[in-house]
Amino acid sequence: MNLTLPRFFWSEYRKRRKKASLITFALFWGTLSILLLMAFGQGMTIQFKVAFSGLGETLIMVYGGQTSLPFEGLPKGRPISLYPEDVDYLKERIPEILRIAPESYNYLQVSANGKEINRTVHGTTAEFALMRTQVPRLGGRFLNADDVAKGRKVAFIGWKVAGDLFGSGDPVGSQIIINRIPFTVIGVLQKKIQDSMYQGPDADQIYLPFYAYRQIDNRRRINQIHIQPREAAQSKLIEARVRTLLGRKNRFDPDDRYALSFWNTIEDAKEGMAIFKGIEIFLGIIGALTLLIGAVGVTNLMYALAKERTKEIGIKLAIGARRRVIVQQFFLETLFVFAKGTFWGFIVAFNIVHLIRLAPINYDSFGIEAYLLRPEFSLQIFAAYMAILGVLVFLSGIFPALRASRSNPIESLRYE
Amino acid sequence: MIELQGITKVYQTGSQTLEALRGVSLKIGRGEFISIMGPSGSGKSTLMNIIGCLDTPTAGEYVLDGDRVAGLSFDQLAAVRNRKIGFVFQNFNLLPYATTWENIELPMLFDGKNAHKRKKRISELLNAVGLYDWRDHRPSELSGGQQQRVALARALANDPPILLADEPTGNLDSRSGEEIMAILTELWKAGRTIVMVTHNDHIASYSQRVIRLLDGMVQD
Repeated sequence: MNLTLPRFFWSEYRKRRKKASLITFALFWGTLSILLLMAFGQGMTIQFKVAFSGLGETLIMVYGGQTSLPFEGLPKGRPISLYPEDVDYLKERIPEILRIAPESYNYLQVSANGKEINRTVHGTTAEFALMRTQVPRLGGRFLNADDVAKGRKVAFIGWKVAGDLFGSGDPVGSQIIINRIPFTVIGVLQKKIQDSMYQGPDADQIYLPFYAYRQIDNRRRINQIHIQPREAAQSKLIEARVRTLLGRKNRFDPDDRYALSFWNTIEDAKEGMAIFKGIEIFLGIIGALTLLIGAVGVTNLMYALAKERTKEIGIKLAIGARRRVIVQQFFLETLFVFAKGTFWGFIVAFNIVHLIRLAPINYDSFGIEAYLLRPEFSLQIFAAYMAILGVLVFLSGIFPALRASRSNPIESLRYE
Repeated sequence: MIELQGITKVYQTGSQTLEALRGVSLKIGRGEFISIMGPSGSGKSTLMNIIGCLDTPTAGEYVLDGDRVAGLSFDQLAAVRNRKIGFVFQNFNLLPYATTWENIELPMLFDGKNAHKRKKRISELLNAVGLYDWRDHRPSELSGGQQQRVALARALANDPPILLADEPTGNLDSRSGEEIMAILTELWKAGRTIVMVTHNDHIASYSQRVIRLLDGMVQD
């Protein structure tokens, strides 16, 4: 391989760099804007999903209600309540249930560290954590089966409760007093974004083992039951089974829509997914259109530059350049300009994305920054972008060169 | 050395047909210095381009050094232009962004000559045309006469036996023109075959023989 020609190509490229700089910049700018657009779109979709699962994933919540139909001689309008034993009753009879947990709550006075606040206090079981995305901060834990079985006086608290009572200190191991009974804090909820809730965000809640909670709130009935199906597709089936079984036990019509009520997040999620998909398609179309506009601009510039060089190609052919030399040089130059523009576009976009990701999200207010400040860089999108733009740029750069190298040198020489 | 038989060149632009050359036949022997003369549009440049393998005839046969040019591929023609023929144009046709040195180097690069040989030959040529001190200048920084001397040096880079000059003095003042002619005469005396297009009788008087063209035909 003769190394002198590539060196000559390099020296020619350097001399022409100024003329090519517009193309380099267009490639840089196009790459930067498309990668950023796609990163923000991706990040937003991901954050939507994260926020959506803040309450819990594949979760069905069952609430008591009031009958709206007369049944077996009983009048309508009877209140239907849920009881702790319903949990085992349902679990034993519905094999599609993976996890199930009771939950009772009441708004109570809580004090610790010389401070007094009013918060919703819940009684539940260990399985609740897995269904409701209750991830403890490092150094703590959620309630476990032993805590529940033995009625231990322990508490798992939201990060805002921790802040309100203990400031920035670590509350694990400290005591909080609820209804004059001391509970030991065993864990604090890790910060999360949560876009749906029933008694306010989990950040503000206090969770106690179910039987310990009964000592401060001795109502027999419970507020709700959480059910997680083995498979999301079974959620409607489980709803129907719960109606039938509890209908039999409480003597109400299984078709009575108001005897029980359900909050089925799986059905909600289906709607949510449709929205995410819509956003993705929308961003894809915007990206494609942006790419198209950019590609038209870049190919136009490439074409103009190549045309401009027709005469130069004529000169080279006239003094004995072979066709391969001409095409090779164009190819290398195009490759270099393309690589340079897209490389810097990539580097800048990558750094902007990662710098923005460093920005803190305020988990206490439910702000727009939670969606905007977590752009997600996608290598697949970058690869697809490079492939499409690369083909367009090379076609627009190579075609005029090929044509010029195929014609009689004299025709290229005459070109002004 | 150069043999043309019944060379015809027809240009087709839209519905118009232009016969630039009509059955031109001529022979040019090794070491001859020929002028091709004729009024504008008589086909001088077209003939020159065909002799220089820059253009192909519509009909007729061209034999260069015993090879039928019509049978050569694009790259074989490039090799002929590179090694056998040096071309000097009226408008110089130098690469505008390249220095004097680089312009002269180019034909040797295309021929694959090594760096040492190139350097030696370029220095030789630059001294011969008196432009060694201008080696790092670009064409735009040179006068017309200097540019034509660069073009001449480039044409001679691979030491071709044939030198073609299409109105080499056409864009130059008379003093620069005389300088170029002096160099061409020297080259001829050193054994090179020179074919030159001109419409200037004084310039033509440097050559041994004049071929006159009118309306695409050779006049006897």
